[in-house]
Amino acid sequence: MAGYGLIMPTLILLGIIVFYPLIHTFYLSFFDTSLVLPKPEFIGLQGYGKIIKSKILWIVIKNSFIWTVIVVIFQFIIGLASAILLNQKFKGRALARAIVILPWVTPGVIVAMVWRLMYHPQLGLLNRFLFDLGLIKNYVAWLGYPNTALYAVIISAIWKGFPFSTIMYLAALQTVPQELYEAANLDGANRWQNFFRITIPQIMPVIRVTLLLTSILTFNYFELMYVMTKGGPGKSSHIFPTYIYQIAFVQFRFGPASRYAVISFLLLLIFALIYIGELHKRKVFE
Amino acid sequence: MRAMKKKKLIRQSIIYILVALLLIFVLFPFAWMVSIALKTPEEQFRVPPTLLPSHFTLQNFLTLSQHPVFIYFFLNSILIASTTTLLVVFVTIFCAYSFSRLKFPGRTSLLSIIILTQLFPLAAIIVPIYIIMSRVGLINTHFSLIIAYLSFTVPISVWLLRGFIQGIPPELEEAAMVDGCGRLQAFIKIILPLSRPGIAATAAYIFFVSWQEFMFALTFITDEYKRTLTVGILDFVGQYTTDWGSLMAASVCICLPVFVLFLILQKQLITGLTRGALKA
Repeated sequence: MAGYGLIMPTLILLGIIVFYPLIHTFYLSFFDTSLVLPKPEFIGLQGYGKIIKSKILWIVIKNSFIWTVIVVIFQFIIGLASAILLNQKFKGRALARAIVILPWVTPGVIVAMVWRLMYHPQLGLLNRFLFDLGLIKNYVAWLGYPNTALYAVIISAIWKGFPFSTIMYLAALQTVPQELYEAANLDGANRWQNFFRITIPQIMPVIRVTLLLTSILTFNYFELMYVMTKGGPGKSSHIFPTYIYQIAFVQFRFGPASRYAVISFLLLLIFALIYIGELHKRKVFE
Repeated sequence: MRAMKKKKLIRQSIIYILVALLLIFVLFPFAWMVSIALKTPEEQFRVPPTLLPSHFTLQNFLTLSQHPVFIYFFLNSILIASTTTLLVVFVTIFCAYSFSRLKFPGRTSLLSIIILTQLFPLAAIIVPIYIIMSRVGLINTHFSLIIAYLSFTVPISVWLLRGFIQGIPPELEEAAMVDGCGRLQAFIKIILPLSRPGIAATAAYIFFVSWQEFMFALTFITDEYKRTLTVGILDFVGQYTTDWGSLMAASVCICLPVFVLFLILQKQLITGLTRGALKA
């Protein structure tokens, strides 16, 4: 009984600030509200029908997909490569490990501002370098074009978040038993064989969990896109969190905002449940 | 023998080159941030831009210190982040203890539900929280932010603290209980002191995520002097021109406390954050 008693305050708290609002979002999604229409009007599933037929939902889904997939893949590659590097023996390793984590502990808004300046059409260093290298003929407003804005933010998101993967993989690499390598070396295996036959299989569970976790975190990540592009130019770089914010708190249309919130929640729930299942398999909750 | 030594030397050099490249990739934006913060206002707007200032000045930091409300942003952020941290640790330490030491039916499901909530999109719950806060008249108060921050700090705090408590051998408590301590006494005398590094790391993490929160702070606070740092620094972004020097000087000031905190506690923090994924 004491067990339940001690977790009760936490559960009640989460009930009030997470579960109740979530249910309320579902409820609101069946209504239409706007500034001109302060009294919510029940419209049932009609609102969803309208959204599915609109072009913008598919732009947001497509952007969220591109955003999440590219960011996660590159965070995986850079994260794993840097973890392997930082797992080697060299002087100043402890310092290098601490420095590599800094982007991850830098507040998102600041990362967004620094990169905004980096991409700035006149003042940005990126244009200067690309111009000096002869790769571009004119300075480009990277965040100002529908073709480049999303990808420019993606690069900064990779930079900001990859250390989280580094931390995970570095910790995982340290748990791989050295005897496995010694035995393989006696059999004459080379480094690449060791990597693919020992390292990767040994850290596979951590890779799975980290990929799922970074996908969820990236999908939900708001401030980088908001501060760098506000979903623009036009609506070309909106992802779910920025678009929900836009309709809810710029246009004050809580009905449509809730419908987008519900759709984004359901899309994410799939990944979240796989993640939890993955942890369950390993008896993490026991 | 010599060939092997040579091979080792080459390998070692490659490692150093790769580490250098990695560090340049990581540090470049920070170098740019510090450089802009140290440039004179005229030089910030010079085209083409240079990585290093032609001469260093602390003028931007001076401007920042004379900014009418920047100090409020700073104090607001400290107040909100530390209140959230204290509140969360106090509530969740009992919950974490229960999950790591007491056996009761349904505990694994309950714990996984708590962890699941951590993965929900905040954008999916912000509208109802906003509506509720407006109805009870709490919108535009720091209290509304603290409440909202509980939604994403409570689950991770339970998770981290539970891991740290599980790392303490149960035999210690059992021995104390054999000596006549009650469960509560054993908790106070054994668990609390031994999990102090874990509590510190958890607290630091909660402080850090509350410190950098942006979406709720942007939405809930309308009065300028009540703003937190992350929203406040956008003040330097004007419609036509942006005061990049002050903005970057402010960024340096915002980053430093979290960097220091992180460097002190990195070992425990990393242990805590990787524990779930590592358990095979």
